[in-house]
Amino acid sequence: MNDIDKKISELYDGELDHDEIEGLLEIISGDPELQKKLSMYSLAGIASDFKTNEVVSINSNERSNKNIFSNIWLSNSLTAAASVLLTLTIVNNADFSRMDISSSSTNQISSAINSKEAKEVINKSEENLADYIIRVINDPNFMNSNESLDLRNVGFLSESKKAYTYSRGKENFKLRIEKNNFGLKKIRYWKHENKIIYLVPLSDGRVVTIYGNISLSTAISIAKSIT
Amino acid sequence: MKKNSNDNDSVLIERVKNGDKGAFNFLVNKYYPRVYASLFSYTKSKEDSEDLAQQTFLKVWQQIESFRGDSAFFTWIYRIAINLAKNHFVSSGYKKQKVNTSIENAEIEISSYENIEAVLMHDQSMKQIKEFINNMPESLKTAFTLRESEGKSYEEISLITETPIGTVRSRIFRARESIIDYMQKELIGNE
Repeated sequence: MNDIDKKISELYDGELDHDEIEGLLEIISGDPELQKKLSMYSLAGIASDFKTNEVVSINSNERSNKNIFSNIWLSNSLTAAASVLLTLTIVNNADFSRMDISSSSTNQISSAINSKEAKEVINKSEENLADYIIRVINDPNFMNSNESLDLRNVGFLSESKKAYTYSRGKENFKLRIEKNNFGLKKIRYWKHENKIIYLVPLSDGRVVTIYGNISLSTAISIAKSIT
Repeated sequence: MKKNSNDNDSVLIERVKNGDKGAFNFLVNKYYPRVYASLFSYTKSKEDSEDLAQQTFLKVWQQIESFRGDSAFFTWIYRIAINLAKNHFVSSGYKKQKVNTSIENAEIEISSYENIEAVLMHDQSMKQIKEFINNMPESLKTAFTLRESEGKSYEEISLITETPIGTVRSRIFRARESIIDYMQKELIGNE
């Protein structure tokens, strides 16, 4: 511990006298160890506010973190294994009018789409959609819909032990239905690993989210069977 | 009440607005771990969090003039970071974008972060540090917590704890040094 360190602590808190700042910044700029110390202060602050699950765990097993840095390759591989790779590839936008579910408002959107306001709304919608899709992928309970549907007419059965999952042979999916707050007029779908997330607007003002290893045509059949 | 960082950082921010790269690097070092942690919780990807954090600070440098201090500085940075993350997912088709971090001959100094990221990604480590803080001597813990978690100024802490302000300075500093020492010995294995 020395006076420089103490002054860094005070500058970190915005409590250092102005006339001392310039010289200290110069010293820090030339000393990687002091820069590292500053970051460690930040880390200590994060830890003081830390609540369980606030930082994503890459390994749920209790284990010692001793020498964690010397095993960095291990933590990297765990990260790769445990992290959800958000390959949010927008595969396509299906033209909803062809799906015979709802085609209203399409022309209005087309005529308004070049306005500044419309672009802002669309950008906001895209942000909301991105948030939503990320939640579908990352929150395991999010797709646990309370709705129990009879989808036998399209060949899918609800799995008895996994009430939220519907399956047909090797195909399976989860779904949730809610009000169409996204303003979706077309089917949108995203690929994530070997599954696809479909958002299908329904004619009654709701939207169904289907997440599984099924084709677009199957997703449409499911959506039609709901309405 | 969370820390009102715009007050804490106002002097440094003004210096950055005047082109002080040393002040900017100080703020980068101060906020990179928090930005990285926020991005990691959003992206779940180490590489993307690194790329997006670099893009974030590049934008901070480019747009610092537009920061008026209406919100906390970190809140402003956080908004930039999350918007970049959203745009990254929505518009890029998740293409990797390497960012040139060179800013008019000033390099953002981020070379020392790799190890810290490793700690950040382990909530077990965070729990251990939190537990260590909870077990610190009461006087250090109180001063440190009032500062970090409650955002109190040294003067406010002095009034609350009925302690001279010089003692408050020392206690917060000693608490930090103690926590860093613990991290080095117990988590990093780098005594």
